[in-house]
Amino acid sequence: MSSQNNPTNGFNGEDSPLIQTKNLYKSYFNEGLETKVLFDINLTINKGEFVAIMGPSGSGKSTLMHILGFLDNHTEGEYEFHGKAARTMDEDMLAKVRATRVSFVFQAFNLLPRASIYQNVMLPLIYHPIIPAEERDSRVNKAIESVDLTDRTNFLSNQLSGGQKQRVAIARALVTEPELIFADEPTGNLDSASGIQVMKVLQDLHDSGHTIILVTHEQSTAEHADRIIELFDGRITRDTEEFKTRWAVDEDKLMK
Amino acid sequence: MLLSDTISAAMEGLKRSRMRSLLTTLGIVIGVGSVVLMVSIGASFERYILSQVESFSGDTFEIHAKGIQDVGKDVLSITFGDLEAISNLTTVKNIAPAIFLTDRVKYGREEIAPFVFGTTKEIFINWSMKPEYGRLLNDEDDRGAKAVVVLGSQAAEDLFTNTNPIGKRLTIGSRKFTVVGVMEAMGSPLAAQMDSMVYVPFSVAKAIQGRTTYIDYIALQSMGGDNELTRRDIVSLLRQRHNIDNPEDDQDKDDFYARSFEQAMDIIGTVTMSITLFLGLIAGISLLVGGVGIMNIMLVSVTERTKEIGLRKAVGARRQDILLQFLLEAIVLTLIGGVVGVIGALGLGYLLTMIANKLLGGITYAISLQAILLPLATAIIVGLVFGIYPARKAAGLRPIEAMGYE
Ligand SMILES: Nc1ncnc2c1ncn2[C@@H]1O[C@H](COP(=O)(O)OP(=O)(O)OP(=O)(O)O)[C@@H](O)[C@H]1O
Ligand SMILES: [Mg+2]
Repeated sequence: MSSQNNPTNGFNGEDSPLIQTKNLYKSYFNEGLETKVLFDINLTINKGEFVAIMGPSGSGKSTLMHILGFLDNHTEGEYEFHGKAARTMDEDMLAKVRATRVSFVFQAFNLLPRASIYQNVMLPLIYHPIIPAEERDSRVNKAIESVDLTDRTNFLSNQLSGGQKQRVAIARALVTEPELIFADEPTGNLDSASGIQVMKVLQDLHDSGHTIILVTHEQSTAEHADRIIELFDGRITRDTEEFKTRWAVDEDKLMK
Repeated sequence: MLLSDTISAAMEGLKRSRMRSLLTTLGIVIGVGSVVLMVSIGASFERYILSQVESFSGDTFEIHAKGIQDVGKDVLSITFGDLEAISNLTTVKNIAPAIFLTDRVKYGREEIAPFVFGTTKEIFINWSMKPEYGRLLNDEDDRGAKAVVVLGSQAAEDLFTNTNPIGKRLTIGSRKFTVVGVMEAMGSPLAAQMDSMVYVPFSVAKAIQGRTTYIDYIALQSMGGDNELTRRDIVSLLRQRHNIDNPEDDQDKDDFYARSFEQAMDIIGTVTMSITLFLGLIAGISLLVGGVGIMNIMLVSVTERTKEIGLRKAVGARRQDILLQFLLEAIVLTLIGGVVGVIGALGLGYLLTMIANKLLGGITYAISLQAILLPLATAIIVGLVFGIYPARKAAGLRPIEAMGYE
């Protein structure tokens, strides 16, 4: 994939892990009431990984993804992205990271209401500081094609089925081809055929070098991943490749 | 993000929420429109009233006893001696004394009860009146106490309908008079009363009423154009002659009125201006109501807009991108609403004045630039503030907060 989407300016360098959390905690505060959601999360994810996060409902999967995707902040500990601490990033920096480096498939799709599929998929491109305007149309069409919605391009988001909305959300997430894609239960609303198709899209992205982090309840979906992290009550209870990950970092360094 | 992107995002935003856009615009249309309409009606009315009186010379003074309004009740205070003394002032000219008759005027089977003025030729100068047919009163009529009469246009029409009144003989009380002239119509409802008047020589009225001491009315003009100087001259002369001690110039203490048309016009001007102000106030209230409506619609849509803002931020929108988009949306809404409101109100106001002109005559459409710009600016400010305020708040949230928890 084109390197133009992955500007390095502002980051320490590509030899730091893509994602690294140290003793990360998250609490929600509602009217002074603290809800502790994540506890002592220590996680390292490297470029090119395909990670599945699993765990029961309410265990904090979405919360963790939102923090890692710069949509929410954490309460304590460190989150470093390419070696740069998230809490040191200012608003403009965060906007730039969201625009260029990460994208999100939301559990609830979050499409623009009463806007067409085309407009929805176009949305990230208008905020992208690098991709030239001339490329937009072809990128949007390509993304829509990849989720098999070309014949519905001008349908409004409220004229779509749940599965179709989910596919629009996926097309929107991959239209900028960011290095890191988060998908919160991307197949949750799909029949098995569409689910397989969506997973193939994500698999292809992974194969071409993108890092994928997804949440799923399905074993069949998780099997696409080469690493499974399990959350339970806000703590990591299993990480299939904890050792391998460490080893991969070392290998990265050895290659230099 | 390119400016064109922001513009199209704003336009799409407006289109996506057509109902809200429409209602907001409507609020502005009504708010702005009503102010412009009311103020323009007020201004047209004011101009109409002023045009009615502007044909009168502001230098003209009227002097009469207090209580003159009750015609026929002999409330008298101005004497022939006063008239004589006033004539000797250096600041006055065109002195026209008058004695009124209350007799009915008859011609054939027609009969009217007009205001009969026994006066001299100067009255016509002071009141800026011209003859339509025949002639006005002259000095010879007065000196010879001739039984001649000049009719106001309405009086002529009432008595003679379509026949030419010149040379005809009519009856005032029990005396016969020859019609020598008909006045030009004053052409305004405000001065319509003057069109119904009838004029006979001063000497004739004096004889009929048997007056030797009092006169009813004096019209004159100031000499040299300093109305205040003339007024002070007349007032102090009359106070002295009537033994009124009134150094504080309190008109309530006087037993006479001495007022220039200029003062009267000022009073009329004040009245019409307060009407305009009153209308403006009502309009201001409707602007306020419109503003609250705009505010309401903008605030009600916050939930949806907040979600949208959260989503836009999630895909990389900066704070300023969001603010600019919402600013543009608000500008477009308020501008369209404002312009439609102004044009609509101007059109409606023009139509109304045209109708009023048909009915009353002499009315032209008037509107001031401030009356357009002020409500327009108010609406735009309200629209902008309440269009941007929620956006500003939402743009400061973290994306997930704004999108709402799922
Ligand atoms: N805004 C919030 N305020 C308070 N508590 C919250 C908030 N958002 C999430 N939580 C709580 O955090 C916990 C984790 O929520 P999260 O959405 O991360 O779970 P999840 O693992 O994604 O669940 P699911 O599989 O059902 O999507 C839940 O107990 C939830 O009630
Ligand atoms: Mg979730």
